[in-house]
Amino acid sequence: MTNIDTIRQFVLEEFLPDVPADQLANDLDLMESGVVDSLGVLKLIAWVEDRFEVVVDDTELNPDNFRSVLAIDAFVTRAAVSAVGGR
Amino acid sequence: MTDPSPRPDVPAVAAAFLEHARRDPGAPALAWADREISYGELAALAAGQRPLLDRLGPDEPVGVLAAKSPGALALVLACLLTGRRFLLPSPSLAAETLDTLFDQAGCRTIVREEDLLPPAGEVTWPAVDPDSIGFMLTTSGSTGLPKIVPLPHRAVDAFAAWAAGTFRIGPGRSVFSYAPLNFDLCLLDVWTTLAYGGRVVLADTARAAHGGYLADLLRRYPVDVIQGVPMLYNLLLDSGAIGFAGVSHVLVTGDVIGADTLAALPWLFPGARLHNVYGCTETNDSLIAELEPGRSGPAPLGVPLPGVDVLLLDSGGQPVDGPGTGELYVTTPFQSGGYLDAARSAGKFTGHPLGSDDRQWFRSGDLVRRDSGGSLALIGRTDFQIKIRGTAINTAEVESVLRECDGVLDAAVLTSTDPVAGRQLAAVLTRVPGSAVNSLTVRLHCAAHLPKAAVPSTLRIVDVPLPRTSTGKLDRSAAEELLTPEPIPGRTS
Repeated sequence: MTNIDTIRQFVLEEFLPDVPADQLANDLDLMESGVVDSLGVLKLIAWVEDRFEVVVDDTELNPDNFRSVLAIDAFVTRAAVSAVGGR
Repeated sequence: MTDPSPRPDVPAVAAAFLEHARRDPGAPALAWADREISYGELAALAAGQRPLLDRLGPDEPVGVLAAKSPGALALVLACLLTGRRFLLPSPSLAAETLDTLFDQAGCRTIVREEDLLPPAGEVTWPAVDPDSIGFMLTTSGSTGLPKIVPLPHRAVDAFAAWAAGTFRIGPGRSVFSYAPLNFDLCLLDVWTTLAYGGRVVLADTARAAHGGYLADLLRRYPVDVIQGVPMLYNLLLDSGAIGFAGVSHVLVTGDVIGADTLAALPWLFPGARLHNVYGCTETNDSLIAELEPGRSGPAPLGVPLPGVDVLLLDSGGQPVDGPGTGELYVTTPFQSGGYLDAARSAGKFTGHPLGSDDRQWFRSGDLVRRDSGGSLALIGRTDFQIKIRGTAINTAEVESVLRECDGVLDAAVLTSTDPVAGRQLAAVLTRVPGSAVNSLTVRLHCAAHLPKAAVPSTLRIVDVPLPRTSTGKLDRSAAEELLTPEPIPGRTS
């Protein structure tokens, strides 16, 4: 399962449980569409930290990093790279 | 079109009635139970009631506590003809409430059905100052003490002139009177008709919930004009009645008519134009719309009556001049000068909200949308205004947007409390059977049509109709129960 699949599954289960998977576009703006609100973002971030074992510091709390499935995937990839590079 | 002052040639309602009685005493004024009562008979009955009023102090108002009957109508005519203010509350109010209202109005004498006197010969009636108060009606608020609404003679006369002209009320024409005598609807059904020489077909208030009785009455005494709350039409339809072909104007008022009822009205009244009339006791009728069966969307209110002006103000108090939504302020030539208890007028009867004219305006409490053509539609009460995290939101408006979403039949918007987020919006939606609507399609629709704070956090989509009250209003507390079983978690739940 790719990171994208994992992220999609979480978003669907957590925020859109009645929605068929094929209706969730990876580039859907989750905030603009009202699927995820400001409190939902916090939940999303907590899940990303936990699931991908990354730390989201204050400078990365920018909601743009979590705006879509693709944006989250890109963030997770970047965070993993920097974590490895920092070791 | 602005004409704030009524035309000077508008006849006084009661004096015009007398004139008809003098000119054509044999013409039918009322149809009641099994017989017709002529203008001459009704004028004699009014003369007969005069001793009840002559024994009162010169400026003393009288309380009228009687159901609709020829005698009660004659008493009201006698009050109007002698320039006597009278309080006409609903006889079904609690005794304690009635005592308080009569006391507030200064009525020491209450005339009841059993006090009414027999007809008398011709009497001479005094001249009446058109600016003085005649009717004192009460509001029908759901809670608390009703407010007393004094109406100047001039206001009622101006209204009758409009109604008679618009619905062609006059000799040879009949009007159905369904509403109880204390309702402002009688200003059209009963008082306009009697002022302009028509015949009033009186429905007995005690039997007003029997559709079969109402249908029989309409068959026996055919009418040209019929006005009523949607319930009247539901009762007629449920009785199996069909085809009152002589009716030329049907007026729906007092509530939003259901789509099914509206769709059936052309069968009930095949020759009639269908109107929605919007007004309240304080201002009388203000807006009129032609109803189109089969049309969807919010209830049309249409356009202001001649002499009526409206303003829409958004939640920030700014005028909404073009298309948009705001609270309706209205000023009419038919309105009261304020509640009898002036303290209760504060915030309701106001000057022009922006100070643009010297007229008195009434704050309706109704949230109204204006389309690009200038036509108005009712969204709901501004009482549904709530705050979600500091943002003012009208739940009725959110419901209206949700109902316009593809695949959504009906919507109820409620509030729930989240331990973290505080107050949140939750919506229950009934979907069109078999539709593919889901929380994502609804959210995308909301995102396009609502500010973010107004998008419900929780959405629950169901296949059952939403609960409604007996009068067809959404029952939100009952709808709340639909939220609880397995709600679809929203963004934060």
